[in-house]
Amino acid sequence: MRHRFLCIFAATIVLAASAAAQQSASAPGPVTKPAHTIDGHPDLSGNWAYSIALPGGALKKVENGSVTYAQLDQSGRMPAKTPVEGALPYTPAPSYKPEFQAKVKYLLDREAKLDKVFYCGKPGVPRISSPRKIIQLPTETIFLYEDASGDPYRIIPTDGRPHRADADPSYYGDSIGYWEGNTFVVDSTNFVEDTWFGEGGYFHTSAMHVTERFWKAGENLAYQITVDDPNVLTAPWTQAPRVIKPSTVPLEESSECVEDDAHRMDNLDHHLQR
Amino acid sequence: MRYRTSGVLVLLAMMAAAGSAWAHHSPSSIFDMSKKFVLTGTLTEVDWVNPHIAVFIAAKNADGTVENWKFESAPPSWLRRVGVNSGDFKKAVGQTVTVEGNRARDGSFYGFLQKITFADGNSFEMVNPNAVDSH
Repeated sequence: MRHRFLCIFAATIVLAASAAAQQSASAPGPVTKPAHTIDGHPDLSGNWAYSIALPGGALKKVENGSVTYAQLDQSGRMPAKTPVEGALPYTPAPSYKPEFQAKVKYLLDREAKLDKVFYCGKPGVPRISSPRKIIQLPTETIFLYEDASGDPYRIIPTDGRPHRADADPSYYGDSIGYWEGNTFVVDSTNFVEDTWFGEGGYFHTSAMHVTERFWKAGENLAYQITVDDPNVLTAPWTQAPRVIKPSTVPLEESSECVEDDAHRMDNLDHHLQR
Repeated sequence: MRYRTSGVLVLLAMMAAAGSAWAHHSPSSIFDMSKKFVLTGTLTEVDWVNPHIAVFIAAKNADGTVENWKFESAPPSWLRRVGVNSGDFKKAVGQTVTVEGNRARDGSFYGFLQKITFADGNSFEMVNPNAVDSH
């Protein structure tokens, strides 16, 4: 009797397991993404919300008498509204050495004419902000961006190698990545001097050193930058953290950038600033 | 909850670029923000380019002369994310459209497009999400 019961019990388990396996094979349920990669680090891979600034308005669409509204969630481009666990202390603006403050004001006052990003220029790091897509691999992490100046990418070695000694200066610099606990740190150097590291005339020299920090804040991606340039700043500047939401919007190639408004400007008014 | 259009606020919001690579000039440096005007004509061309799309309209003035207008508007990446693509505009090339916007202060046939109404009555309009009329 006891033997027969055990046989029935065992058969039931086998059948149940088989049924579950068949169900899994034929009708897979939602895939639960592991929170960590196989090497034990938090998994940052995926598409993230577009956090480069776009217009803040909404679109009213009338179609066949039906009215709909659409608006972007651009929370990722603004400083986080609530404290972000793990964020470094930050200040609203960088502190320039006294002898450079007049230059910053000069650039700020004329940014509508002088900021190359206005005219399709590459924003560079860190102004490009957080990536639209992260592909986290065992020895490198790849950042993909969508930007009007082109759609840049960055390949960030994470195998412990040092910065390249033979690279030419560039807009996105030479980057290496490493982990500090659950925070992915991207250390970038070797920049051209053409860019500003933020609106407001934040010029820099080739000595600029940018540190980007990425970590998970729930399902979101927290992002914070620190910029140092001992030639012009009194101290490294850490910006307020951003919180970037996951996105299901696929990446698309950006349209060509053609800007010819400069000759139409009859004053130096600049746009709203952060 | 309804959205209420405010030309100046919409344009300011459209141009605002906080912490951004979508930086842009002030609307007041080019457009007359105190005046909004309406223009009807034939949509002749659409350039789906950054940092803002361009819409070309041939419109007859009071004496019958054709004026070739160019309007800039939002960036393609913004329009795409609110559900509008280039085909939504380009399918109307050759048709009569009516636009509302602000004219360039240099007096040229150049403007900022805030609303376009197509021949079939459908329309796209940029509105200010912060100006919500709760009535």
